[in-house]
Amino acid sequence: MIEVDGLTVRYGGVTSLDAMSLTFERGTCGLIGPNGAGKTTFFNVLSGFVRPAAGTVRAFGTDLLTMAHYRRARWGVRRTFQTEQAIEELSVFDNVAMVHEHSRLGRASRRQDVLDAIEFAGLGTDPDAEVRTLGAGQRRLVEVARAVVGQPRLVLLDEPAAGLPDEETGHLAEVIRRIPEHTGALAILVDHDMSLVSACCATTAVLDFGKLIASGPTAAVLRDDAVIRAYLGVDS
Amino acid sequence: MPPWSNFEPFVVSGLALGGVYALSGVGLVVLYRATGVLYLAFGAVGALGALTAWSLAQAGAPGWLTWLACVAVAAAVTLGYGTLFGPALAKRDPLVKAVATIGLTLVLYGLMDLLWTTSGGQARSLTLPTDNSGFTIGQITVTDTQVIALAAGVVLTAATATFLRFTKLGTAMRAMANDREITATLGVPVRRVEAAAWLGCGILAGIAGLLLADLVALDATTLTFLVISSLAAVLIARLRSIALTFAAALVVGLLHDLLTPVVSLSNYRDMTPFVIAAIGLLVLSRHRVMVQSREGA
Amino acid sequence: MRRLKSLQFKHLARPKPAITAVLLLFVLLALPQLMSLYYVDTMTQVAVYSMVALALGVLVGRVGLVSLGQVAVLAVGAWVAARLLFATGQPYLLIVLEAGLVTMIAGTAIGLPALRLRGLYLALITLMLAGGITVVLATVNFPNGGHGFLGYNGSLVHIPPIRRPSFAASDPAYFRFAVIIAIAMFALVLAHVKTRPGRAWAAIRQSEPAALAAGINTTLYKLWAFALASFITGVAGGVLAGAIHYLYSIGFPTQDSITLLAVVLMGGAYSLWGAVVAGLLYQFLPSLLNNWGVSADWLTILFGIGVLQVLTTAPAGLADQVPRDLARLYRLLYRLLGRLRGSRPREGEPAPDPETAERVP
Repeated sequence: MIEVDGLTVRYGGVTSLDAMSLTFERGTCGLIGPNGAGKTTFFNVLSGFVRPAAGTVRAFGTDLLTMAHYRRARWGVRRTFQTEQAIEELSVFDNVAMVHEHSRLGRASRRQDVLDAIEFAGLGTDPDAEVRTLGAGQRRLVEVARAVVGQPRLVLLDEPAAGLPDEETGHLAEVIRRIPEHTGALAILVDHDMSLVSACCATTAVLDFGKLIASGPTAAVLRDDAVIRAYLGVDS
Repeated sequence: MPPWSNFEPFVVSGLALGGVYALSGVGLVVLYRATGVLYLAFGAVGALGALTAWSLAQAGAPGWLTWLACVAVAAAVTLGYGTLFGPALAKRDPLVKAVATIGLTLVLYGLMDLLWTTSGGQARSLTLPTDNSGFTIGQITVTDTQVIALAAGVVLTAATATFLRFTKLGTAMRAMANDREITATLGVPVRRVEAAAWLGCGILAGIAGLLLADLVALDATTLTFLVISSLAAVLIARLRSIALTFAAALVVGLLHDLLTPVVSLSNYRDMTPFVIAAIGLLVLSRHRVMVQSREGA
Repeated sequence: MRRLKSLQFKHLARPKPAITAVLLLFVLLALPQLMSLYYVDTMTQVAVYSMVALALGVLVGRVGLVSLGQVAVLAVGAWVAARLLFATGQPYLLIVLEAGLVTMIAGTAIGLPALRLRGLYLALITLMLAGGITVVLATVNFPNGGHGFLGYNGSLVHIPPIRRPSFAASDPAYFRFAVIIAIAMFALVLAHVKTRPGRAWAAIRQSEPAALAAGINTTLYKLWAFALASFITGVAGGVLAGAIHYLYSIGFPTQDSITLLAVVLMGGAYSLWGAVVAGLLYQFLPSLLNNWGVSADWLTILFGIGVLQVLTTAPAGLADQVPRDLARLYRLLYRLLGRLRGSRPREGEPAPDPETAERVP
């Protein structure tokens, strides 16, 4: 469970997050909203790249904001980015192993854990293949493998399906949906693809201009008038 | 500690030097804000201009023509570089763009040593007619060149600030500093604005080169690396504020020359820009700890 | 002959260990006999500056940190070595190690506050610091056998040469000594690159936020790179001292740091062999031109053009695994070799472009 209370982020006169209070219960939760709503800013707060002006985040009982950013991964925060990709010059195995190296787990279980994560992501390639030889869809799966290895507690997925064709999105959705049951972690998915969000997330929250405007079961939220207006208002 | 009267002449020379550093710094900042390029070759093109002026003077050309040639050469090379390499590197990181100008610096440096070699021990000098006229304040002699140097710094800084604030071209440059892509979609002729920035910077480089060749030395190495003093000022201003660049440049120039009569430190006075920049940067960066991740939707 | 389809350029950039070993043996044993003393001296310098290029390559190519003052660091290493060589009777190898360690400590101390700065600012601060070191050196001078902390006696008429190790007193012997130390440094870097720090550096270079999100303490690993680069450069300084016997501050000017960056970029900041190429460009070519009576200024111009060429054609970042111009050269050589052996691409099949063969579909 993640409890966010009164989270406010200001940057150069713009309030990116405005007193956001929300509780993520369990499973995979969606976080949607028009461009500039503050979704990536929220992830940046969780990752430790941005210091909020006010508010607290308690994750599974731990105060997340007092932890140094690189320590959060050790604690169990995992994140995929919109544009940053897996490291091209290393192999799939090394990419995933690197995350494991810096997690709580030791060397003994490393090889098995990494192979398990790669299998969970359903990559279907030789683990020693260099990432540079893989296609976009497979690279996203490498990132997913990195996100689930080493007993994560909180998995943040930032538009994992961006730029992927439909067939690959389907497989990705399946994998994302199973992350909580496979790892015990809580996953938060940010995306614009509503079918992806519907397929993976039981609950969804909606941000607009840094404010929370709706949250609840995904189907209901996606039909909510306020949410539709928020999207249409920007979509001109 | 020597008596104050020992320092007095150095206040004048320091201010003059600071004035030139200021106009150099302003040129660097404006170009950086408009194009994202930190023009490390600024000193080298100024040196090229100054040496060209010297050669023309040796060939008997009248003074005004040599000065015009100096500015023209610096401006032409700068504009040429900007036109040739600006677009190719436009989307790259500022670090890459700056290192590219190092390439230009090397080319110019090699060229200058080929054409105006110093290996035979020749020392050249450039004098301006204003070196011989001036006035005195109390015990201190002030040459007109020094006055021009400081005045040029003040006037050009003020003019640039005004230009950026109140003219259409200036506003376009400020917009581009924010976001080139968006500015382009607003219908601003991005390439033309950039060309104007390159040209302006080149002209300032020529003027600075001419003045520094007179005030300091007409030597390719010295003039090329004198840009470091302006860089110090520009860094303290975080490549943003023109006013801060001006102030910092004056401080760098003043402090450097004021250390001359202090016997224990005099040998180290060339460290002034480095020390000031290093301290300034480290102090100013104390609070920016956070890592920028690329902001998306 | 095997088809060109499976040509992998990185294998050319990093030849098989067997080929490397043979090459190194040749260099160590045969090369000094084949060259005049003038060129033996030159090749010793190549070994020294290959090490500095290696250090710069670690910073620029592996981590993405640009140092505009690496020659000043070299001067520090040389200074420490000279001081110890004059003041103590310690074995040369030990002094080289000490020079490396002192330089490493200095480099790390400077790196700590400096690493808070981002790319461009960090590069500029290295320029500033190097400039500061240059000024101090000009005043303090290199040790020349005098007493006192600085070991410099300005009034000495006959300056003693810096000594060499007893087992490597002659020029060819010292060349071998330099090469062996260089090999050790390259091995040290290789050991880093293939293990945890190398992976962390790859992650940092790709994206610092992503590296942080993966749990990598980026400050620690960047500092580690600084320490490694400073150590290697300090060691190179120690070898340089004995190579040229006399050290002067004008031998380490600011423009040399810039030229060094240029050749590192041209040789390929990422690959280890690139550092050797850089060393050759930096020391062998000028030596060659000097011998032929051609001005070294042409090289400066060439290096400037080289920088521009590398940067405008490199796909992203400052380091490319094998720069395009060298890649084209390899391709040309391979095609020539192919033609010599009488093989040709099959009819209707275009000669595979090795650069695109690996590209992601």
